[in-house]
Amino acid sequence: MKNPIKLFTLITTCLLLSSCYSVRLRSVNGTYQPDPLLSRNDYYRGMEVVELDTVIKIDIVSKDFTYLIKETDACKSGKLHTVEFKNTFGGSLLSVFSFGKKRKLKVKYVCMKPTN
Amino acid sequence: MATTKTHDLKTWDTLHNNGSFPLKKLYITELEGDGILPKKIDRYNDAVIEIQRLIKETYDANHGFRAYGSAWSLNHIAHHKDRMHYNGFMNIHIPIQSENLHNDTSFNAENLFLFQCGTTIKRISEVLSSHGKSLKTTGASNGQTIAGCISTGVHGSAFQVGSVQDYVVGLHLITGPNVDDSVYIEPKSKAALNDTFAKSISKQIIRDDAMFYAALVSLGSFGFIHGVVIEAEPRFLLNRYVRKIDKNIALQLADTLDFKNSTFKIAAETTPDGFGKTPYHYKVFVNQYSNEAEYVVELMYKHDYRNDYKDPFPIIKQSLYMDLIHLFTKMAENWPKSIPWLIKRLEKSILPKVDEDLTGTLPEIFWDAPYQGPAFACSVGIDHKDASKVLKLLCDLTTKEGPIPGIFAMRFVKQTKATLGFTKFPITCMLEIDGVQWNKTKKIMSFEKYCTRIIEVLQENNIDFTQHWGKGSHWKFKDLVNYMYGEDAVNTWKSQRKKLLSADMLHFFANDFLYETKLVEDDIIIEPTNPQTDDLIT
Repeated sequence: MKNPIKLFTLITTCLLLSSCYSVRLRSVNGTYQPDPLLSRNDYYRGMEVVELDTVIKIDIVSKDFTYLIKETDACKSGKLHTVEFKNTFGGSLLSVFSFGKKRKLKVKYVCMKPTN
Repeated sequence: MATTKTHDLKTWDTLHNNGSFPLKKLYITELEGDGILPKKIDRYNDAVIEIQRLIKETYDANHGFRAYGSAWSLNHIAHHKDRMHYNGFMNIHIPIQSENLHNDTSFNAENLFLFQCGTTIKRISEVLSSHGKSLKTTGASNGQTIAGCISTGVHGSAFQVGSVQDYVVGLHLITGPNVDDSVYIEPKSKAALNDTFAKSISKQIIRDDAMFYAALVSLGSFGFIHGVVIEAEPRFLLNRYVRKIDKNIALQLADTLDFKNSTFKIAAETTPDGFGKTPYHYKVFVNQYSNEAEYVVELMYKHDYRNDYKDPFPIIKQSLYMDLIHLFTKMAENWPKSIPWLIKRLEKSILPKVDEDLTGTLPEIFWDAPYQGPAFACSVGIDHKDASKVLKLLCDLTTKEGPIPGIFAMRFVKQTKATLGFTKFPITCMLEIDGVQWNKTKKIMSFEKYCTRIIEVLQENNIDFTQHWGKGSHWKFKDLVNYMYGEDAVNTWKSQRKKLLSADMLHFFANDFLYETKLVEDDIIIEPTNPQTDDLIT
């Protein structure tokens, strides 16, 4: 390719697209906690979704990080039904340039509906 | 004490975006925790007190009231312009014990379960599975609540079984704000529970066939459905097959349901003498825009449960991505002539994959259906003997006056005893068109017009038909309900409702849908109504 700018743009676009993806885990069993107000118009319509979009800091000696799911109004059972993890190019860069000490956490989760 | 959150809202919508509709208040009730009230029966009865409090509060405000569950109906049947009650958190279940049975009952206690109104089909199936049981049939998915299913007549395609309401053996209704406005109803000819149990969940007991079968498909207007007693059966497996077969054979099967003598057979599902077995489920998919000589058909055969079958979920989970549907809708609105082309392209995603056989339990096969964007559905019930004839009429309508962005399917359901059950024929063919919502343009007629034309075409051809209560139609069409059910059935339904509810509550539990369909008249004659009549045993 003669034009280096075009080549750079193409490679960058490919990197951006391939590094931005989401993975969803959904339990086969159980019923999701409903959102009676039907406030969403995406895959999660009718579900009570908790969205996390933050940066977590990890000290050098820690290998991993555990986020605890607690009982709240949006998660009455404290048990998970669906989890969606999203990775972005920016999130990857943040992790690389902070040597893994800062990690982008972009997660949606839906809890199980309490049973009686 | 059960608690209720009140939301002041201006609009409400269905899951599939068939509104929006005006609303004043939305109630959401949650049960008391089992730490405070450990006994299920106490929590169940505690909820009755809370619902009666809400009914009184609403009545005192001179408002109407309607309960709903998962909002899966694709029209305004679940809507009330004043106050609505979300009951999805009310999901207690109580297995019936042998000491709870009526002396004259033919039911086996281990098959009977009481479920509170907001329990979803999925939850019910999980409860039943833990007892080694299964529902007899469901709709095509599992998100509906039990009260919502029976109120609107949700069905599958189990043509030897019936609809969801057909395995209900008793109903517990809250009919007003007073302590005594709590009624357990079951048919006198098929009593299930004894007075001791019935009195433990209600204040009055009605054993009456006419009342029970009228209240079974109540359209949400016989009061607040609080509990539903159902009969389950031993857990079973379904072998599911999807095949492409000659359309003439598929239609002949639809018209006759004679699988024994058909030239089409599933090799693994034949009798020892070589005849085809009769399936549990038969469904025909029809792309009315295609001239292909074959239709896709889905068959399921019932077998005893065993636990060594292959995991069905890799096949079951596949579904079309919503954003693609949205894009195609926009294309369809602007370039209607592209609809047949679009549907042809979508065929592989919309229809089940041919020759991809699987085995699973009922709840595994009819698993979660993901939300896929604004959807419409129209569904007419006809005698299955008229299936191919009516299919041609509606396909011609849709192709010649359309096109419409949806495709047809046929399912088959055994006759219901419910007074206003739309599966009224010995075996009803539910001929349905499902698709994505569109906006009227100069090039494509409105949804309302399409619904009207369906009724007109069927009436012009003297077709005896019904329509699915929870799907799209021109419900204001003149004399529609009388045409579908006959005046006798409609009057029976109305008179039973008047017998059950006080004059105030007749209006209170009515909504626009009932007024539009003339099932409730604007000028109800106020007459003394008291459930304590000769029909009732209290």
